[in-house]
Amino acid sequence: HTAENTSDLLQHVKFQSSNFENILTWDSGLESAPDLVYSVEYKTYGERKWLVKESCQRITRKFCNLTMETGNFMEPYYARVTAISAGGRSVTKMTDRFTSLQQTTIKPPDVTCIPKVRSIQMIIHPTSTPIRAGDGHQLTLEDIFPDLFYRLELQVNHTYQMHLGGKQRDYEFTGLTPDTEFLGTTMIFVPNWSKESAPYVCRVKTLPDRTWT
Amino acid sequence: GQEFQFGPCRVEGVVLQELWEAFWAVKDIVQAKDNITSVRLLRKEILQNVSDVESCYLIRALLKFYLNTIFKGYLGKAADSRIRKSFSTLANNFFVIASKLQPSQENDMFSISESARRRFLLFQRAFKQLDIQSAQTKAFGEVDILLTWMEKFYQ
Repeated sequence: HTAENTSDLLQHVKFQSSNFENILTWDSGLESAPDLVYSVEYKTYGERKWLVKESCQRITRKFCNLTMETGNFMEPYYARVTAISAGGRSVTKMTDRFTSLQQTTIKPPDVTCIPKVRSIQMIIHPTSTPIRAGDGHQLTLEDIFPDLFYRLELQVNHTYQMHLGGKQRDYEFTGLTPDTEFLGTTMIFVPNWSKESAPYVCRVKTLPDRTWT
Repeated sequence: GQEFQFGPCRVEGVVLQELWEAFWAVKDIVQAKDNITSVRLLRKEILQNVSDVESCYLIRALLKFYLNTIFKGYLGKAADSRIRKSFSTLANNFFVIASKLQPSQENDMFSISESARRRFLLFQRAFKQLDIQSAQTKAFGEVDILLTWMEKFYQ
């Protein structure tokens, strides 16, 4: 009697985390698996007992939001998925150890680009996370990462860019030509954790200069 | 530049981010070898609410244990070159930190050093309850828990 091969039912069980939103995802190895259902459990590393994620029991989709259950960003967690086929075959697979502080990626910042005649103002909005402080208020990325800073670039032409950066959230590129289009990019950096976001890009045109008309 | 300040014990010349990057390079490999997910050596009660003064005694005991009992035994078995590279980065830096820590041996510090010793013994006891191979693998896989705690004293 050969051990039944069930590894095809379930693959790539892992956390996908960005800005501390922690989603458990997985794949089924089968081309199509209409009759497969999945159930999710999770626990803190070091605990004996697995906890059931109620809203992800016998589901057909291949993801489950465990943000609240893995909300202590310094704690290491595990999650596991059990796949069950209509024919009764089943397999359980576990994630790697997951600590969101180390593994979350940073989304591009939310920026408002405001064109003026000879300048462009760029206002970076704080990024809130699902993480709550003791008093219940939502923490921003800046709260969690004290060394976080922003880097902005304005592409003036093919060979010339302007750069600004720092911890504040309000910047202005000045000395620009009126009625001209520019490409602005803004990124978040967290050096201590070797994290950097993808760029937020805005294409914006300075206003025409009507002073002498 | 930044330095560690474990209470009165100050340690310069160590870049914490380099330790993190060394560990991240092997985190998944090493932690995947530890399949005892229901046991954690560096439990919360060991590292929580450690006063600044006590931290120097505790970190010194932990680093010496890592150097003498975990890294020393583990290196010979680490076939994977990535593990060996990150391993020596961590071991070298742990050695530098441990050798620069000079906690006070004054009598009036006895109760504080005793508190640190009790915390360390909790860790050592949990370590000894596993076979040596599993314990070394688990302890190496928990370096991120140790670094996260050390980060609080890095300014």
